[in-house]
Amino acid sequence: MDRTSVKIVVAGGFGTGKTTLVASVSEIPPLTTEELLTEASVGVDDTTGVEGKTTTTVALDFGRITISPDVVLYLFGTPGQDRFWFMWDELAQGAVGAIVLVDTRRLDSSFPAVDYFERRGIPFVTAVNRFFGECDYTEDEIRGALELDPKVPLVWCDARDRGSSKLALITLVRHAMARLPARA
Amino acid sequence: MTLETWDGDDESAAGRFVPLYVLVNGRTAPRDSSLDLATQVVALPVDTRRLEPEYLEILRRCDGWISVAEIGAYLRMPLAITKVMVDVLIEQGYLEVGNPAQQKIIDRHVLDAVLAGLERL
Ligand SMILES: Nc1nc2c(ncn2[C@@H]2O[C@H](COP(=O)(O)OP(=O)(O)OP(=O)(O)O)[C@@H](O)[C@H]2O)c(=O)[nH]1
Ligand SMILES: [Mg+2]
Repeated sequence: MDRTSVKIVVAGGFGTGKTTLVASVSEIPPLTTEELLTEASVGVDDTTGVEGKTTTTVALDFGRITISPDVVLYLFGTPGQDRFWFMWDELAQGAVGAIVLVDTRRLDSSFPAVDYFERRGIPFVTAVNRFFGECDYTEDEIRGALELDPKVPLVWCDARDRGSSKLALITLVRHAMARLPARA
Repeated sequence: MTLETWDGDDESAAGRFVPLYVLVNGRTAPRDSSLDLATQVVALPVDTRRLEPEYLEILRRCDGWISVAEIGAYLRMPLAITKVMVDVLIEQGYLEVGNPAQQKIIDRHVLDAVLAGLERL
């Protein structure tokens, strides 16, 4: 086998535990890479010109797991603010699939992520991060709130716990494999 | 090395952020569009004396297989710049490139390997 990269996206709303999940399973402390953005400020009174434009960066954090001498799995956390959709496109392209983290205190904050992967037919699993112990919702209530397709797996997780994050990853890979055409 | 920047999208709605296109050696995007941020590269044993310092610094990171994203993170370079510079190094024969993560249908053998690897974790 040639040197091969495999990508998994870790998505979800702001502060849902994406970086924590990446850190709990990565073999290196999560790294951060930045993309340059510029503000396209075109107004009616556009006299400021180019100097008026601001540049900013959006940070992505990622980790790695060496699978075999030839295969490395990269886990990319999406930027917290979901207005940077073009970054999601870059991350999702060619990915095995995504883990969408859900914080039960703010279920709706993960809805854009669910919607994004659903629309593009990218395999994903939802991982409900319980944060403070017991959760006030049943699985059905969470599925209802996120309008989850019944085929989308839902796992309960603690993003700080390696075993729990590992289970979410395994569930995703199995789900992605189940969607492949039958073995030739 | 020529490194200039411009705002590639003047037509966007006010206040919206768009990717900043970066001009490196006369190019704004990798020639090889499959160059993904997870794609790994490794230095080839060739003479590097003619290389500019910025490129040499990248090559020094590539004595073992390493992804575009890792190079950018270690050298604190934005992805847009890292990608184009890595692409220049591939084109000029300094770097060998591995399989990109971008494949329409991910190979079942690869997923089998990933699953086994995760279960061993
Ligand atoms: N109790 C508990 N706390 C968690 C869990 N996962 C994350 N946290 C905490 O929640 C906070 C946010 O976690 P992050 O991993 O930074 O979340 P994120 O999704 O990367 O956040 P942004 O990148 O800002 O969107 C941190 O203080 C974590 O320590 C969990 O499973 N349980
Ligand atoms: Mg984060």
